[in-house]
Amino acid sequence: MTRAADDRSEAPVLDVRRMSKVYGEGETAVHALREVDLLVRRGEYVAVVGQSGSGKSTLLNILGCLDAPTSGRYLLDGLDVADLDERQQSILRNRQIGFIFQSFNLIPRTTTFANVELPMVYAGVSRRGRRERTRAALDLVGLADRADHRPNQLSGGQQQRVAVARALVTRPALLLADEPTGNLDSASTEDVLDLFDGLHATGRTIVLITHEERVAARADRTVVVTDGRLAEQAGARP
Amino acid sequence: MSSVEILRFAVRALVANRLRSLLTMLGIVIGIAAVILLTALGNGAAKFIQSQITGLGANSITVIARAASGTAGASAGASSRPLTAADAAALADPQGAPDVAYVAPVVQTSATVASGPNSETDTVIGSTPDYFPGANQVVASGRGYDQADLTAARPVAVLGRTVADDMFGVGSVPLGRTVLLNGSPFQVIGILQAKGQGGPGANPDTNVLAPLTAVQSTFTGFGNLNQIVVGARTTDSQNAAESEVYSIIDRRHGITNPNNRDYQLISSAQIAQVLDQTLSTFSLLLAGIAGISLLVGGIGITNIMLVSVTERTREIGIRKALGATPSAILAQFLVESVILSALAGAIGVAIGIGGTLIPLPGGFRAVVVPGAVIAAVVVSIAIGVFFGGYPARRAARLRPIEALRRE
Ligand SMILES: Nc1ncnc2c1ncn2[C@@H]1O[C@H](COP(=O)(O)OP(=O)(O)OP(=O)(O)O)[C@@H](O)[C@H]1O
Ligand SMILES: [Mg+2]
Repeated sequence: MTRAADDRSEAPVLDVRRMSKVYGEGETAVHALREVDLLVRRGEYVAVVGQSGSGKSTLLNILGCLDAPTSGRYLLDGLDVADLDERQQSILRNRQIGFIFQSFNLIPRTTTFANVELPMVYAGVSRRGRRERTRAALDLVGLADRADHRPNQLSGGQQQRVAVARALVTRPALLLADEPTGNLDSASTEDVLDLFDGLHATGRTIVLITHEERVAARADRTVVVTDGRLAEQAGARP
Repeated sequence: MSSVEILRFAVRALVANRLRSLLTMLGIVIGIAAVILLTALGNGAAKFIQSQITGLGANSITVIARAASGTAGASAGASSRPLTAADAAALADPQGAPDVAYVAPVVQTSATVASGPNSETDTVIGSTPDYFPGANQVVASGRGYDQADLTAARPVAVLGRTVADDMFGVGSVPLGRTVLLNGSPFQVIGILQAKGQGGPGANPDTNVLAPLTAVQSTFTGFGNLNQIVVGARTTDSQNAAESEVYSIIDRRHGITNPNNRDYQLISSAQIAQVLDQTLSTFSLLLAGIAGISLLVGGIGITNIMLVSVTERTREIGIRKALGATPSAILAQFLVESVILSALAGAIGVAIGIGGTLIPLPGGFRAVVVPGAVIAAVVVSIAIGVFFGGYPARRAARLRPIEALRRE
C-alpha cells in the first residue's frame, strides 16, 4: 500500500478477500485464482501484469461484476457484490464501472456511434446528451470520422479505441481495462495512456492489465499475477 | 430505458439481420395465409352446397320408385311395383295422411325442345300445380299452369331459364310463343326463376314444366308415375308426414320388411342432414390441414427464433456487461418478436384474403371466416412471442461473462 493512496481516500473502492476462482470440476478443474487478496483505494491507478494464462482476465472480470468468484468475498465500495441481484449488478456496472475487454466486444452489424452510445441508453441519458457525449468520446479517441462504420469495417486498433470510447462515455468512477493497448501502435498507445492519466488526475480509479513495461510504468503501483496468486511488485513508485 | 429506445433497438436489430427477419416472417406469412385460405375454401364450399339444398322444396318429401333392395332370395315374391296414380290418391287421403298438405304426382321424360332453328334435348316434367311449391320452383314471369289447365290437359309449358335462353335468346321473355316438345306445339305461359347448377345432370333451369295430363297424353301415356311429391303441412310435421307416407305405401305395396322397400323417400331435411355431416367432416379436414400448416410455420418461427437468440448470446452478454438489466434485454427481444410476427401476420392476412378473391372453377367462391383470421393471427403472434421470449429469457439470466464466452 502506498502512502500517496492512503492520503487520498478513506474506504477502499475494491476490497478482495481470500478470493478463489475455479473453472470446471474434478480432474479438469482449473484454479485460475487461489485465495487472492487485493485492496485498491479511491483514485488509485493499478497495473496488473503476469504471464499469459496466469489469471489476470479472470480477476478483472470478477472485479467488473461480470463473473462471480468460487469462494471468498469481493466488496465494491464497501458493498458485497454477492448480495446484489442481477438487476442491481447491471445497474452497478452501468453507473460505476467502465470495462474495456481484451477482445473489444463491440456489437456486430452496429455502427461505431451506436456502440459507444449504448451504455448511456441503459443509463437513461437523453438523446441529445447521448449524441454530444458520443461525439466527444469519439473525438477523444480520434475516430470522429468513423462514427457510421460497423466493427467489421474497422481495423483492430480502431475497434480497440471504440471500446475505450464506450468505456469512458459514462464517465465511470472505476475503469477496468484488459490490455487496452494490446492492438495499438506506439502513437495510439501514448494517446490512450494520456487519456488514462487525465482520468487519473480527476480522481478516477483505474485497474489495467498489460504486458508492456512502459504501460505499467505509468501506474501508481503494479500487481503481479503468477499462476493464480497476487504479489505487489517490488520497487513500486512512492 | 424508455420504450422508444427499446423500439429503436428492436427495429435496428431487425434491419441489421434482414434476411433472417424475412425468413422468420415467411413462415408466419405462409401459416396465416394457409389457414385463412383453407378455412375460406371450406366455408365457401359449405355455403355453396347449402344454397343448392335450398333449391329443394322446403317441406316436401319426394317418393321415388326403385327396385327392391336386398338379396334376390330374401325378398322372393315381393316383386318391385311402380308408383301409380292410385298410390298418389291414397296419399292425398286426409284420413290416412293427416299431415300431408298436398300431393303432386310426377311423370317425366326427356324430349326434344325446338323453336325455329333452335333445338335441344331437355327434361319435360308433368305434374299438378302443387309441384311448384313442392319442388321450390318459382315462376319469374308469366304464370304457372293451374287446375283448369290440368283438367283440360292444355298444352301449355313453363320454361326453365336456360331453356328460354336457348330457344328464344338470352334474357328473353317469350310469353305466348310456341315451343315444340317432340314435335307437339306447347304454348309458353311462364318462365322459371334461374336456380343455377345443382350438380351434374340436375340443373332445374333446363326443365320444361307442363300439366300432368298434357304430358301423359302427349308423351308418356296414362301409366305409372316417376315420382310423387308430397308436401307436409308445416316444417314441424314433416317427420310425421314421412312416416304416414311410409305406412301407406308399404301397405299398398305389400312391404313387411322396411329394408326391402321398392321405393324411397327423399326429403330436403334428409339431404340437409347428410350434407351437414359431409360438410362438417370436410371442414374438419380443412381445419386440420390449416392447423398443421400453422404448426409447421410455428416450428419454423421457433427454430429461427432459437437460432437468432443463440447466435446473439454474445450480443446479450455485451449489453449486460454495459449495464442492460435482464428486463431490458427481455423487452428488446420480445418487441423484436412482436414486430416480426405482427408484420408477418398483416402480410399473411392480406395474402390470405387476397387469395380468396381469385375466382375458382365450379362457380363457388371462397368465403373468409373471420374467426379463423383472428385465431391464425393470435396463434402465430403467440408462437413468435413465446418462442422468441423463451430463449431470450434464458439468455437474459446468464452471467455476462458466460454469455460473452458463447460463440
Ligand atoms: N471459461 C473458462 N473455463 C475454463 N478455464 C478457463 C476459463 N477461462 C479461463 N480459464 C483458464 O484460467 C486460467 C486463467 O485465464 P485468464 O483468462 O484469466 O488468463 P490471463 O492471465 O488473462 O491470460 P492472457 O494474458 O493470455 O489474457 C487459464 O489457465 C485459462 O485456461
Ligand atoms: Mg486475459
